[in-house]
Amino acid sequence: MENKTGYIKRAVSSMSNETFISLFMISVLIIFFGIACAIVPNFYLPMNILNLIMNYWYIILLGIGVTFLLVTGNFDMSVGGVIAMTGVLAVYFSQSAEVLKNPLAVGLGLPYGVALALALLCALAVGGVNAFFIVKLKVPSIIVTLGTMMLARGVAQVVTLGAQRNTSLPDIFGVIGNASIPGTPIKISVVIMAGLVLIAVILEKTTIFGRRTYLIGANKEAARLSGVRVERHLTYLFLASALLAGITGILMASEFKAGISNRATGFEFDALVITLLGGTNINGGFGSVLGTVVGALVLAVVTSVATGMLLSPDWQFVLKGTVTFLAILAQRYALDRRKG
Amino acid sequence: MIYLPPGFIRNRVFDMNDNVLEIRNLVKVYPGVKAVNEVSFDIKRNTIHCLVGENGAGKSTLIKILTGAETRTSGTIRLNGDEYQVKNPKEGKNKGISTLFQELNVVDQLSVEDNLTLGMEDTTFGFLKKTKKIKKMIEVLESLEPSINPKQMVSTLSVAKKQIVEIAKAVASDADIIIMDEPTAAISEGEIERLFEIIRSLHANNVTVIYISHRLDEVFEIGEYVTVMRDGGHIDTKPISDVEGRSELIKMMIGKTVFEEYMPKDEQSSEVVLQVNNISNHKLHNISFDVRKGEIAGFYGLVGAGKTELARAIYGADEYQGEIVFNGEKLEQSPHGTIKAGIALVPEERRSQGLFTMLTIRGNTTVMNMKNISRNGFINSAKERKITAEYIEKLQIATSGSEKEVAKLSGGNQQKVVFSKCLFANADMLLLDEPTRGVDVGAKSEIYQIIRELAEEGKSILIFSSELPEIINMCDTIYLLFEGDMMCRLENGSDIDIEAILHTAACGD
Repeated sequence: MENKTGYIKRAVSSMSNETFISLFMISVLIIFFGIACAIVPNFYLPMNILNLIMNYWYIILLGIGVTFLLVTGNFDMSVGGVIAMTGVLAVYFSQSAEVLKNPLAVGLGLPYGVALALALLCALAVGGVNAFFIVKLKVPSIIVTLGTMMLARGVAQVVTLGAQRNTSLPDIFGVIGNASIPGTPIKISVVIMAGLVLIAVILEKTTIFGRRTYLIGANKEAARLSGVRVERHLTYLFLASALLAGITGILMASEFKAGISNRATGFEFDALVITLLGGTNINGGFGSVLGTVVGALVLAVVTSVATGMLLSPDWQFVLKGTVTFLAILAQRYALDRRKG
Repeated sequence: MIYLPPGFIRNRVFDMNDNVLEIRNLVKVYPGVKAVNEVSFDIKRNTIHCLVGENGAGKSTLIKILTGAETRTSGTIRLNGDEYQVKNPKEGKNKGISTLFQELNVVDQLSVEDNLTLGMEDTTFGFLKKTKKIKKMIEVLESLEPSINPKQMVSTLSVAKKQIVEIAKAVASDADIIIMDEPTAAISEGEIERLFEIIRSLHANNVTVIYISHRLDEVFEIGEYVTVMRDGGHIDTKPISDVEGRSELIKMMIGKTVFEEYMPKDEQSSEVVLQVNNISNHKLHNISFDVRKGEIAGFYGLVGAGKTELARAIYGADEYQGEIVFNGEKLEQSPHGTIKAGIALVPEERRSQGLFTMLTIRGNTTVMNMKNISRNGFINSAKERKITAEYIEKLQIATSGSEKEVAKLSGGNQQKVVFSKCLFANADMLLLDEPTRGVDVGAKSEIYQIIRELAEEGKSILIFSSELPEIINMCDTIYLLFEGDMMCRLENGSDIDIEAILHTAACGD
């Protein structure tokens, strides 16, 4: 028995922090899942589990970019705003240009593809602004992206006059966000999310690009002195994060067939929370996209339990906050204990 | 806590010939290094006691133990005859040892008065009280330097005057000993004179000064006693009047074994690979030199001479005006560009600039040449493991395997990882900034061996070091730097004049 614990101790201490935290968060997920199965009837049904992932596709999609940036030690708080802005602009660009009485029904009348491309360009522009201030002018990312969060949300408000645009849209606009794989309930959005997660995991673990991301987070100055073009790399990451938010924005606008100015409020926090729950170090250096998916599942389980227990929605924030807090504290505690 | 102005002796009565500090068999062991080795000596009360030695001699470790910043491994220290053992600098200060660090401990945004009382404020209901203590501090300050107004903001004072504020604070809080670590490094000639006057006047306040400086002239000017340390050991302590001049001091500092290791090369290549033409920046002034293929060039100077800045400029890590040509092509001013051109840097601070300590040896070794271990941007991890294993073998890195986190290695092995990184970059030229700092003796000679082998392979090596034995043992050519200027170029050989080198490095002429 003693030998066994000795062996486990050695195995734990020889593990890298990243592996340790990943295993730790997976255990947390399993424990939460077990509790959920115990108190909510039928929680273990495969359909339920699939639903958990499918209902959170947008947060996971955002989490990809946020994770890469957090690994380098940077935040992106602008993603929620970018979703709203891109969705609203995609609608505005596609709405027919016929002059009507209602100003919210008049758009630019661009072809569908062109409208989407332009909307994504605008999302990239926000990423560009982030990169410029953070990389070139060395302003802390949390400040800059809180600024662009407001800026992007503001653009959405102005274009919708503070409300939403949902008329004179071509039929095709509503397709991609609502279509499913024939014969299954799996939505195209979820497939896109899964595909992007797969690409991100490959990029992160097997390419030079991924390696550089970790190097910057582990030691920015050493990375620069080792020949990594830190500024260029961070610029790519901010652009990528904005692009992912833009894609999410278009999918969500299509789902509702509307550009709504207060869409995705608070999503930047959800994306950050699942990234942290997934074990990414808030100071950078380690973390992973798969961890972020685990983090999303932890959050999903907690939220569904709350719904399953018929907790009033007012209490859900409190529950979510508490769980996040506990999980991150436990992570910190486990890391410190391991070293001592 | 009674203060008497200069000229009076405080009411504590001591025999003027007794020892304020007695150090016996002091030892400090860091993993792999004995930084202080069986050091014993006394410091007489109310004297100015100079502490000299090369970098790595153990001075700073000794000072850190005295101030309480480090704990000793063994040995005893007696202050005023009582056992002295402190856990932190604050406790050390309370017991009577204050320190004037190079990085001054004053708050620029506060007034002189507030700085003096910082950390010992008396309050009534949370409001500051003007107590006797403050008055006393101000009095001491006025007696030391009347030109400083207590209401003045510290940010408006020169470095020299900030030092005086700190000295006043130490004197007024009844320090028995004030340790001064290179106080003249950042102040001008006139200010040095004034500082010395003040240091001499401290006698009267019953204060002993431990004075650390690389500038030997100052030691003779102000010191009454001198202690020489070398390689962690105590060499000698004697009155300055018994020292026969600078050459004796220098001999004690560097020992005798200095030149034995340098072997002139049979033939030198005449092919110039690096031409530095008139480069200048915030620290460097019009520096020019050439380096040949297979040459080991050494750059020597004191702290602040511009060695690191020169290494960083060549590497493109700092901006500069002027031109550097390598292998016939002008160098780009970025590390990415210089690495591509075939230059690699072993930086001064390995933990903060050279290594990714949270990553594995494998993750560190391959960073500077990831193209070599990848195809179309995808990393071939089998190849990466194989290469890392090869370097662990080649440089004899003591580790259980390539997947060990670098943070868990000893200093010498960490430095070898930095070397592997630079060797894997396949560079034709290596810039080594303090390549053996904080490395134990065994690893040191291994690193020297690696450097010699590289030079034989035809790589050019630039060593930037403040350890003169290292420079003299290794380098074919020696350049002396002083405050950002290139003073001279010397060919190494048995006729090299060490005293002249130290003189130039310390005085600039």
